[in-house]
Amino acid sequence: MLEVAKTAVEAARAAGADFADARAGTDESESLTVRNQEMEGIDRSTSTGVGIRVLVGGRWGFASTSRLDDGEIDRTARLAVAMAAAARQLPGDAVTLSPVEPAIASWRTPVKEDPFTVPLEEKVALLMEASRQMQGVPGLSFAEAGLDFFRRSTWFASSDGAQIEQVVTNSGGGIEATAVGEGDMQRRSYPNSFRGHVKAAGYEHIRTLGLIEEAERIGAEAVALLSAPECPSEMTTLVLDSGQMELQIHESIGHPIELDRVLGMEEAYAGSSWLSPDARGSVRYGSDLVSITADATLAGGLGTFGFDDEGVPAQRVPIIVDGMFENFLTSRETAAVVGQTSNATSRADGWSHLPLIRMTNVSIEPREGTLAEIIGDTERGIFMSTNNSWSIDDKRINFQFGCEQAWRIEDGRLTTLYRNPNYTGITPEFWGSCDAVGGAEDWVVWGTPNCGKGQPGQVGRVGHGAAPARFRNVQVGVRG
Amino acid sequence: MSELLGADEFRRVADGALSLRGADGVEVLLMHEAGGLTRFANSEIHQSISREDTGLRVRVVKGGHVGVAASNEATPEGASAAASSALEMADIVAADPQWPGLAPAAPPPQVDRYFEATANATPEMRAEAVGELIGGVSPGCRAAGAYETTAVELAIANSEGQFCWAPSTQASLTTVVTGPDGGSGFAETFAGSVDAIDADAIGRTAADKALASASPRALDAGPYTVVLEPAATATLVGFLAWIGFAGRAYIEGRSCFEGKQGQQVAAPSISIWDDGTDPRTLGAPFDFEGTPKQRVELVRDGVFRDVVYDRRTAKEAGRDSTGHGLPAPNPDGPFPLQLFMDTGDATVEEMIRSTERGLLVTRFHYSNIVNPMESSITGMTRDGTFLIERGEIAAPVRNLRFTQSILSALSSVSMVGREAHLASEFFFSASRVPALKVDEFHFSGVSDH
Repeated sequence: MLEVAKTAVEAARAAGADFADARAGTDESESLTVRNQEMEGIDRSTSTGVGIRVLVGGRWGFASTSRLDDGEIDRTARLAVAMAAAARQLPGDAVTLSPVEPAIASWRTPVKEDPFTVPLEEKVALLMEASRQMQGVPGLSFAEAGLDFFRRSTWFASSDGAQIEQVVTNSGGGIEATAVGEGDMQRRSYPNSFRGHVKAAGYEHIRTLGLIEEAERIGAEAVALLSAPECPSEMTTLVLDSGQMELQIHESIGHPIELDRVLGMEEAYAGSSWLSPDARGSVRYGSDLVSITADATLAGGLGTFGFDDEGVPAQRVPIIVDGMFENFLTSRETAAVVGQTSNATSRADGWSHLPLIRMTNVSIEPREGTLAEIIGDTERGIFMSTNNSWSIDDKRINFQFGCEQAWRIEDGRLTTLYRNPNYTGITPEFWGSCDAVGGAEDWVVWGTPNCGKGQPGQVGRVGHGAAPARFRNVQVGVRG
Repeated sequence: MSELLGADEFRRVADGALSLRGADGVEVLLMHEAGGLTRFANSEIHQSISREDTGLRVRVVKGGHVGVAASNEATPEGASAAASSALEMADIVAADPQWPGLAPAAPPPQVDRYFEATANATPEMRAEAVGELIGGVSPGCRAAGAYETTAVELAIANSEGQFCWAPSTQASLTTVVTGPDGGSGFAETFAGSVDAIDADAIGRTAADKALASASPRALDAGPYTVVLEPAATATLVGFLAWIGFAGRAYIEGRSCFEGKQGQQVAAPSISIWDDGTDPRTLGAPFDFEGTPKQRVELVRDGVFRDVVYDRRTAKEAGRDSTGHGLPAPNPDGPFPLQLFMDTGDATVEEMIRSTERGLLVTRFHYSNIVNPMESSITGMTRDGTFLIERGEIAAPVRNLRFTQSILSALSSVSMVGREAHLASEFFFSASRVPALKVDEFHFSGVSDH
């Protein structure tokens, strides 16, 4: 397949491209879902093709095809050049790419146990047993368990001379218990919502999850929520668990630091950012306890790779240091606009898409203390866990997130269970109110395999290291 | 330019799977998609994209055991390999006690939704239109957006003798124009044919809003009367489809319509239905199981009537499939993809004139569910939100967050627009809906822009 990518680059150059890169690739996935001990779905999918990106006169063109014979590759390369030529009908600034040393390299996600070779019988048995354990809880309506496996093989070549082979493997699993009552529905998930805990790893990750061991507890928690009171509406101290912190970081830090958003390139669809291009070093994003790093070398992160889809080597980049904003996520094109070099965050949703700036593993740096210690140190407040709803404005300022469950904190103890909790805030005010961030003990590398961005829509697979944290003066219990 | 592969080619590929031995039933879903996208920002084209792919998805059943395999190797050999893989999976899993069988042979309605002008759209044509749009935007404003043209061929074949094939096209031109002092305006056209797209008008509409919304003032959260333009109405209807009209949620008691059949759930002026046979919408006239689509009355004169079904949920409910199945495997169940809301007799201007104090909302952004059984969702206003006072637009306002029950909002609709527009809340569905005047709509927060 590397030859396909090289052939595509040569064809694009022959067709008139000033610069070209190509990604030949194959995506493989396997998904299993069991619900109430019945097989809801089992499927395998593969997709193979090549995407060719060109610069002609400083304008981008991109074309992709699933047919890989030389004639079709040549046609697609010429089409990419034609796409760029059409863009030149309108005036505009020529794209400049920040420099990168062309690499000849290969990289693979470290995997101990290939998830695609583990027998289906074993996977089905695990899900059936987890579902059975949940179903044993009286009052539970639905007991769902799922596994997802993904492998992306990419062969990258560029007219600068890069030749990179890369294989990224992801494995994930989770359980979800749903209780339906009179006009109400409550759900608990483990280890996290929306298909569980996905990591860059092999099947060995699934074996650590404890899906069967935690099933009965999760089922009981879902049923208990049906009779819990509604989360009260008040301004209070809010403690978030690591799972909800993943989403909080993703939406209110991860997206607004994408430089393509900041430069207005996503304005019409996903939106822009509250940060301006000159924000580096001058904007206080949060309290002194808030330090954020984008680390594409983090073990197990969905945003971990050897090279991004422009052939730039993976990096660890400080984003926020002790509350001060320091760096954007950049691509070769956008980095050049602000006089920098790319920090390797340009990735595509497979061979058929143009690379965009995507989060790598955007994580909060751990500080001190466990979740229990943070709660123990809180006189009065609300503790929320496990995301179930998210919404944020087009500049990533005003957000509202819902969680599966909440508890009243009184004198350092969890007292009353609440259902339907949510909270709202303004990004810099919220992060500015952070007065506790947990330590390494409860810091977890979570995966977000469903991040949407771009037109046509692309799904990004990104990671977040997250610790539990505490925020002051937060509005919880938002009602219509 | 995209040439149709044609029904015969899809039949040829599907036969590679249908010849599988050892199975009780085989279903093949084939989809060829070819299209182009011209994306612009800061009044320049920054992405120019061409894509083409053919996907196949094979569902195999053996004694009620079901497996599914998919690939983009769209050849008889690729289909055969996918069928074998699906059979291997079916052999392993437990039988589905609710397996309804494959769709019987039945001809789908004939609806022509394929427009040569869209299928043959070139990057030069799209660039020219984008140039027109940008050219019509006032100095000091910047336009961003996308012009996308797509041709899709969808075919379903199964071992019960069903074969259906339909080509269709989609064209959409969307823009957000940003103006001086924080002004922002949105406009779009979403249609089957590029001939419906007036780039200059779209640009001017958005630019007018951008200029009018400069220097927005802060407004307190709270209940307001709102005039929702069609793009905002589409958000309410799209989410209602997700949490209300989907058959699986309904038969499992998770729908916001639970226990409400035959009851008044909205104002009498509200009627909503799904109709894949109506030429005014997009997509195929059959579902992803090969069942011909039926018109389904969901809400009529404010009274909840019905939900949509695929074959599996129909069996559980003792009904027939309404032709709303999604690609297998599909744990979420059926979904209405071609929604309509009935029009009324008001213009947006009349709605504004009749409002003592309220808000004009161009569209919502990044909405999500708060409480599905209460039909409660939250989201932000975006790209043109205005205060109405004494029947006139008084001032632009900063964006607000709403947290609102959809059914409560629809129950307080006092005026319905006379024109319906095609809009899309989710990328895979379309709603043809009018503007609405809602007497009470709850805003729970404000942003800074």
